[in-house]
Amino acid sequence: MQENMIYFDNAATSWPKPEHVYKAAENYLRSICANPGRSGHTRTIFAERLLYETRERAASFLGVGEKPERIIFTLNATDSLNMAIKGVLEPGDHVIYTSMEHNSVLRPLGSLKRNGVITTTMVWCEPSGCLDLQRIKNALRPHTKLIICTHASNVTGAVLPVEEISRLARENGILFLLDAAQTAGSIPVDLQKIKPHLAAFTGHKSLLGPPGVGLLYVHDGVKIKPWREGGTGSNSEKDRQPELMPEYLEAGTMNTPGLAGLNEGLKFIEKTGISSITEYEQSLTAKLRGGLGEIRRVKVFDAGTKQGSVGVVSFTIEGIDSGELGFVLEQSFGILCRTGLHCAPYAHQTIGTFPQGTVRFSLGYFNKEKEIKHALEAIKKIVSSLP
Amino acid sequence: MKKKSYFTFPTTYQAIKAEKVLLERKWKYKMVPVPRSISSSCGLALSCSPGDALAIKDYLKESSVVVEGFFELEEKVSKSKLSFFKRREQQ
Repeated sequence: MQENMIYFDNAATSWPKPEHVYKAAENYLRSICANPGRSGHTRTIFAERLLYETRERAASFLGVGEKPERIIFTLNATDSLNMAIKGVLEPGDHVIYTSMEHNSVLRPLGSLKRNGVITTTMVWCEPSGCLDLQRIKNALRPHTKLIICTHASNVTGAVLPVEEISRLARENGILFLLDAAQTAGSIPVDLQKIKPHLAAFTGHKSLLGPPGVGLLYVHDGVKIKPWREGGTGSNSEKDRQPELMPEYLEAGTMNTPGLAGLNEGLKFIEKTGISSITEYEQSLTAKLRGGLGEIRRVKVFDAGTKQGSVGVVSFTIEGIDSGELGFVLEQSFGILCRTGLHCAPYAHQTIGTFPQGTVRFSLGYFNKEKEIKHALEAIKKIVSSLP
Repeated sequence: MKKKSYFTFPTTYQAIKAEKVLLERKWKYKMVPVPRSISSSCGLALSCSPGDALAIKDYLKESSVVVEGFFELEEKVSKSKLSFFKRREQQ
């Protein structure tokens, strides 16, 4: 791997991870590696304690420390979203979602719709990411069961008005599912404040854990069917899931080394402080956004909602294909980023970049200011070389 | 014959929760595999001395730990059998 490479793809997965994340995953595999819940020996008990600790830490980080059992371990945000969507929807239900949603929401909804199970209404956001709540109100039907909204766009970084949408959902007796894949660990996510009924998280982005671990929050009283059923190590004589959370929604062997890593990622965030992380990432992002905006022929896509944004910046250069630009950035300048549609086709339609897509730089806590400077110089060089 | 008390739990999460809430308390207890004579939903039990059992039971309830069963058992494994295994190991 190139030593002086610049990693600007943190919205896909964060890198590097804190040192303890690597060590905890390795140590777990080498020295523990027992299957929690399955046996009674010392190493399984150790594994169970690790899960308990990680669950408590995640719950408290997300503002629901009193209810760690409402935090379910999943594979990633896609898994959490599938569990939530397929766990609460029933034939005849209507679902409202925004144009900024990721394919992890669009595809499960799409298949339920194609199979004639549900109907849906997509609410368009403004190109800035702003969302007029009246549009959601207009989309409400008597049988609307669920509203889904991403906390921040993975294309523009814009933070959406999720507290207001959550309130609107509650006032109308509708479930609200929050997709916090892009925000948790980057900006504060307080579930007590946002009050979603369901919330999906991934461990490998700003929570700094390894890939293969995610979280699903399920509020008290939400009726949800298990999407995945199987062994839990308890109630083994019955052919049904235990009724108590979290086991009700957790089946099969856990990604324990991944969770050991996630536990350390959460510890790192606790120690550093989420406000310091937010402040640092936002100041880097402002420098990048500002700098790109000053370069001629560069179009930076707005993320100017009043809720702010995360460290994601999408841009295009007039006269160059985004995919080709990404290739040049890596080959000539050692900058790794993501180009294209970012699994969010309607978000690109919203900002007017469909189907060509954009180049996306996504920053993390381990990026440095000198990397921003290097990237801005690179873009200037590319632009000046254009005919 | 010596007696021991056992708490069983509906799920592993509740068993570890019991262990966790008792960590900062004075009672002596151990997390052990559920003895074969007890039927339980979860394979992990909490064992303690019968003298502490009622206080622990109350404390678990107070801490919203879901307990499935509560048992008192006489220790069936006799010392002579254990010493037989020890002798074999030493050979």
